[in-house]
Amino acid sequence: MSHEYVPEIAVDREGKEHVVQGWQGDYEGGKLGFWLFMLTEVLMFGAMFMTLTYYFTLHHADFIKASSELDRTLGGVNTVVLLFSALTMGLGLLKMRSGDVKGAKLMIWLTILLAAVFLGVKAQEWTNDYHEGIFLGLDSMQAGGGKSFGEILFFGMYFTMTGLHGFHIIIGIGLMLWLLKRINSGKVSPDHHILHFNIALYWDLVHLIWVFVFPYFYMTGAGVIHG
Amino acid sequence: MANHKTVDYQAEKGIYYKVLFGLLALTALTFIQPEMFLTQYTFGMQMLIGTVKAWIILMYYMHLKGEVLIGWTVIFAVFIVVFFFSIVMIDVSNFQYADVSHITSPAQ
Repeated sequence: MSHEYVPEIAVDREGKEHVVQGWQGDYEGGKLGFWLFMLTEVLMFGAMFMTLTYYFTLHHADFIKASSELDRTLGGVNTVVLLFSALTMGLGLLKMRSGDVKGAKLMIWLTILLAAVFLGVKAQEWTNDYHEGIFLGLDSMQAGGGKSFGEILFFGMYFTMTGLHGFHIIIGIGLMLWLLKRINSGKVSPDHHILHFNIALYWDLVHLIWVFVFPYFYMTGAGVIHG
Repeated sequence: MANHKTVDYQAEKGIYYKVLFGLLALTALTFIQPEMFLTQYTFGMQMLIGTVKAWIILMYYMHLKGEVLIGWTVIFAVFIVVFFFSIVMIDVSNFQYADVSHITSPAQ
C-alpha cells in the first residue's frame, strides 16, 4: 500500500480542482489550536477536582474510608496499562515522523488494544463494585442505606469522574481508528502528520488526567486498617 | 506545507524509554508511600508524586519542552484552576451553612 500524501481537493463551480490549505498544512497553527481545546478539558476536569476537594475537606474521614474500599490492584493495573499505551502512542508518532508508516500503524493498533484492556479492567472493577453494593442508584447508596453521607458523595464523584475518563478513552479509540483510516488513504504521512501529533497529545491528556484521578480516588484511603 | 524534519530515531526512542521507567518508578512510589513513609501526609504526598509525573508527561510525552507560547498558555490555564481552587479552599474552610446545605450530612 502506498503512503504518498494525498492532499484534500475542493472543486469549484467551473469544475476546477484546488488544493485545500487547511490545518493539515499548518503545523504550528494546528498544534496551538489543539492545545487550546485541551486546555478546555483541563478546566473541565479542574472544576471536577475542585468539587471533589470541596467535598473531601467537608467529609474527610468518610472519603478516606470510602477510598479504602476501592480495588487498588485493578486501579494499579489500569495505571500501568495507560503508561504503556502512552509509550506505544509516542513511539508510533516517532515512527511516523521518521518515515516508518507501517511501524506507526502497528503502534497505533497496540495503543487501541491497550485502551480496550483499560476499558475491560474498568468494566470488571465496576461489576465488582456493583456486587458489593457500590453503584449509582442502588438502595445501599441512598440515604439510610448503610453508607454515610460523605461516602455516598465520594462514590458519586468516583463513578462520575472515572466514567467521564472512560468516555474519553472510548473517544480516543475512535480517534485512533479514524487516524488509521486517514493514514491508509494517504491523508496523513511522515510529511503531514499533524493529525497524528494531535491525537497523540489527546491520548497523553487522557493519561495525564488519570495520573491525578488514580491517587485521588484509590490511594488517599491506602494504609487504612479495617477493624 | 510539509513538516518533516530529520529525526534521530534512536535518541528519541531512548528518551521515551527513560521516561517510561521514570514514570513506572514513580507509580511504584505511589503504592509504597502510604505503607512506608510520611503516612500521615498521604494525600499531600500522592498529589506531589502525581504532579511530578504530570510534569514529566507534559515536558517529554507532550513535547512542551522548548515550547514557549504553548508553555505559557498551559501555565495560564493551570493558574486559573489553581486560583479558583484557592478561593474554594478558603471558602470551604469557613463553611457556615451546614444546617441548610445539600452537600453536608443532614445530621450536621
